[in-house]
Amino acid sequence: MNEILSAKDIGISFGSNEVLKSVNLALNHNEVLGIIGPNGAGKTVLLNILCGILTPTKGSVIFEGQDITHQKITERCRIGFGRTFQVPRPFEKMTVLENIMVGSVFGAGLTEKQAKKKAMEIASFIGLDHRLTWFAGKLGLLERKRLEIGRALSTDPKVLLLDEVGGGLTETEVGSIIDLVKKVKANGLSVIWIEHIIRTMLEGTDRILLLANGTDVICGLPQEVMQSKEVREVYMGNEDK
Amino acid sequence: MKFDGQTLAGNTGFKVGKKVLLVVVLLLLALLPMFPNSAYLVSTVTLIMIYMALGQMWNLLGGYAGLLSLGMQAFIGIGGYSLAVFSIDAGLNIFVAVFLGGVISVLFGLVVSPALFKMTGVYFAIGTWVVAEALMIFFSNWSVVDYAKGIMIRSVYFLTGEQIYYIAVLLGVISVLVVYLLMRSKTGLALMAIRDNPAAAESMGVKIFSTKLKCYMIACFFTGITGGVAYINLAYITPSASISTQWTIAMTFMVIIGGIGTMEGPIIGSIIYVALTQYLYNFPGISMTILGAIAVAAIMVVPNGIMGTIHNKTGFELLSPRRIMPPDWKKLLGVERAKEQVEAAGDKASKKE
Repeated sequence: MNEILSAKDIGISFGSNEVLKSVNLALNHNEVLGIIGPNGAGKTVLLNILCGILTPTKGSVIFEGQDITHQKITERCRIGFGRTFQVPRPFEKMTVLENIMVGSVFGAGLTEKQAKKKAMEIASFIGLDHRLTWFAGKLGLLERKRLEIGRALSTDPKVLLLDEVGGGLTETEVGSIIDLVKKVKANGLSVIWIEHIIRTMLEGTDRILLLANGTDVICGLPQEVMQSKEVREVYMGNEDK
Repeated sequence: MKFDGQTLAGNTGFKVGKKVLLVVVLLLLALLPMFPNSAYLVSTVTLIMIYMALGQMWNLLGGYAGLLSLGMQAFIGIGGYSLAVFSIDAGLNIFVAVFLGGVISVLFGLVVSPALFKMTGVYFAIGTWVVAEALMIFFSNWSVVDYAKGIMIRSVYFLTGEQIYYIAVLLGVISVLVVYLLMRSKTGLALMAIRDNPAAAESMGVKIFSTKLKCYMIACFFTGITGGVAYINLAYITPSASISTQWTIAMTFMVIIGGIGTMEGPIIGSIIYVALTQYLYNFPGISMTILGAIAVAAIMVVPNGIMGTIHNKTGFELLSPRRIMPPDWKKLLGVERAKEQVEAAGDKASKKE
């Protein structure tokens, strides 16, 4: 079996609001799986379930053959999950070095001395090694997005969950984020990437899953999914009606 | 500001100048009672040290752990009454009694924390306040502490003002040292992350509950001990005075004026608070109003507090919890990147100038 992570029949409700009805997905080893869907489709909620912030009301999350549905976020971090947030959440009064160190110390279990060196390597990997001693609050948007990825990598994850890391960036900046995700994949990680920007999905992913109305609608190769009838219907409406 | 390759975020290296300053301050504190006509100053510094210890602990909770407590007076009461009851009724040495006050404070904190930690923000603040008020009412109706009548703590009468001064100085220095060492430890790294963004910290493996609990226990212990020392100085205790919101007002004032989330903030804040309260004795009846007005004005002018503002503008930190680059950072980064760091630092420094 090549799957590293799968979600089976995931559903979640907040009061009477059923956000996810039934979602199934499978992420393979060393694969980048893109998730697209209109606003309110439940993409971020799904990501929050996968990383342990939320517990689903039904269904299960399987990681490396183990059911981790009820594992807490800190435990999932330690077994190999790293995530970014849609709106970057840097530790603003801490330096870039310290920001990355947090994940290395508490997520990867390194000593502070080891974490410093690891943080420098990661900063170099994400292109922030010239900002190591800057307060994270002083960084611009692209640098904050890079730091989000760096912090997620600092926990030494097997699966990286990216929530709209390309949002709000210019074309060139989006290109650099795609390159960075490709580098992450080249290092053997598996990635789930939520994004609205078509280019990132076409250039940066191996497969795309379309999420709409709380269910997975279609999953396949990027070009095929983007040209599918289902994507047209979800985004443009049903032409026959 | 000359960049030494360590950091742009502040003066983190424990430089010679800082060490000299600290040694001079400690020497002055040690020698102060020996100066002629220093009795008033000695009693004032005694108060500063006691308030500084309280401020450090409140800052540890409010400034670093995101636990805005309005109920730390409960532990001052526990500390004060432990001193009174254990040293008078049980006949224990006063220092043992003070230590027991710290231990009982921790036990009390452990009992109330599961309920309190289910709350956050303003609800946590109100919860802690309610606990303290409940404790005050309980003490007022408890025969062991002689109800609300109060206790004259005769067991401390043998101490001279100088001796109390040295006890307070020791307490103040230890409180700063404890917070400094804590912030330099792994727990400190977690606390700073929790302070800046709890959700992100948790997603990176930081255990929020246990980190906050550890922090709360430390604050309970030292606030309890400080309560004991405060009542060694005051020598008379009642429930309404020892478990009074007045203490929390003082702690909040000191930390906010001095700079919340900075280690120097409570030091500066305690000096200002004690100096102001001493001066405001000349205005009975309206002293608290004046103090409140000063606090509001200060918040408007320096919203980050005095040390927070100085730090934002100059990067200066006397006691820094910052993690500096490893010694071989230039080698690790490579020549070009290291050069860029230094150049970027130079740009920033020149802009400041």
